[in-house]
Amino acid sequence: MKTIIATCSLIFLIGVSCRRKPSMDPVSCCPKVGISSDISPAGPLDARTSIYQLPGLWTDQHDRSLELSRLKGKVQVMAMIFTHCGYACPRIVQDMKAIQDSLPDAEKNNVGFVLVSFDTQRDDPAQLQRFAEQQALDGHWILLHGSSRQVRELSMLLDIKYRQTGDNGFTHSNSILILDNQGTVRTSLDGLEPQTGTAIDLIHRLTAG
Amino acid sequence: MKPALISLMFLLLPPTTPWTQNRSLSPSAQNGSPNRLNAQNRSLNRPTAQNRSPHRPWASKQDHPGMILIPGGVFQPFLLASGRKQKEHIPSFFLDEHAVTNADFLEFVRANPRWRRSKVARVFADSHYLAQWSGDLDIGNGQIRNSPVTDISWFAADAYCRWKGKRLPTLAEWEYAAGALPLNAKRGQNLSRIILSWYDHPAPAILPPVESTYKNKFGVWDMHGLIWEWVDDFNSVMLKGGNFYCAAGSAGTADKEDYAAYMRYAFRESIQANYAVRSLGFRCARDID
Repeated sequence: MKTIIATCSLIFLIGVSCRRKPSMDPVSCCPKVGISSDISPAGPLDARTSIYQLPGLWTDQHDRSLELSRLKGKVQVMAMIFTHCGYACPRIVQDMKAIQDSLPDAEKNNVGFVLVSFDTQRDDPAQLQRFAEQQALDGHWILLHGSSRQVRELSMLLDIKYRQTGDNGFTHSNSILILDNQGTVRTSLDGLEPQTGTAIDLIHRLTAG
Repeated sequence: MKPALISLMFLLLPPTTPWTQNRSLSPSAQNGSPNRLNAQNRSLNRPTAQNRSPHRPWASKQDHPGMILIPGGVFQPFLLASGRKQKEHIPSFFLDEHAVTNADFLEFVRANPRWRRSKVARVFADSHYLAQWSGDLDIGNGQIRNSPVTDISWFAADAYCRWKGKRLPTLAEWEYAAGALPLNAKRGQNLSRIILSWYDHPAPAILPPVESTYKNKFGVWDMHGLIWEWVDDFNSVMLKGGNFYCAAGSAGTADKEDYAAYMRYAFRESIQANYAVRSLGFRCARDID
């Protein structure tokens, strides 16, 4: 009996660890593991899977307070960054801008772009506004500042890992998330390879649905 | 260490942290005299235990029932910061003496309907949430009332601790507290080896009650050998390299030989906050008043 239970729990745990990101597997040079194979935008939307259930007020780059649920109604392309980041974050923002530029005109107004900062100390609304100007981010972009608690919770909902490093920086997952208009994460584009085509296809299906 | 080796270890070792009635760790063997305890603490090098004074200087601080004051100290994080070994100071804090039990958690879901099995939002707890219970307010098997509650997500564990006026321990706090040797450990014993020897034993059919493995030198029970435990910032673990993470080169560990630690961190990296896992429970911490 013990053996059976042990075997079952072994299978269960392996199942759990491989459910989304098989982090135990050797990493190949050009990984694409983050893309969910079960994208089904046509399926019924389950409000229970919306990340907008996370309560709490955030502040945007214009110093306005908002709850995440304000993002409802549009497809959102979301990432977590910090503005003092030298390498990966600028590329994440570039990839998001490439997605925005590739959208057909008919869809442009149905898609928002959200950047949430890990750096709760330095990325206050004024710094986020400066960053938005430097990067020439238009009115479709929202940059959010929250408490360290809110940022940690949101990172968990988005399955983004991060850790503050000794030199005031952050180590973090490089991911761009695409959320449907109810706030359910439909895919996570991971790594630094641009995946604009995948993103555009999915957004097209989500805005059509 | 190669990721393939970690996978191999997961295959070879029982994933539900096994429990074993190790005679040398039985509670009766653990009531050493204060003098003997002090002698043991002097030989303890990871983490640095500060409780050498027989006067217990912290005893004047307000006590919390069921919690143990973990005296602050220096801790070497397993994951390197910017590729360097950099010791971290852990301030004193309180930690639950043992993991939260099914009976404890039942009180919580009684008082907080949104955390009942049929009500909880999927984004906060997946479909395995409290799967072994018989119903929303029914643990089912009476034998597990006093066993650690498992099949609970990070969000549920976090909500429980806050409801109690507590919080989840940070990863550093948990590792620091768990790094102390068993109360009756022999001089020079290596904790990693003790843990790995537990993993050699098959998992029991029914999770044993709390306080059934061993008490460590800080006075907390079952830090290893019964379940895995959630920590507040579990998603700060990034072992995998490559383009997935910003700040390349930050992945590195302080002790490449510590397989037991590697397993814990690899497990933390593999889970998400809404996962409910049969071998994963939690305990709470709180700041010094």
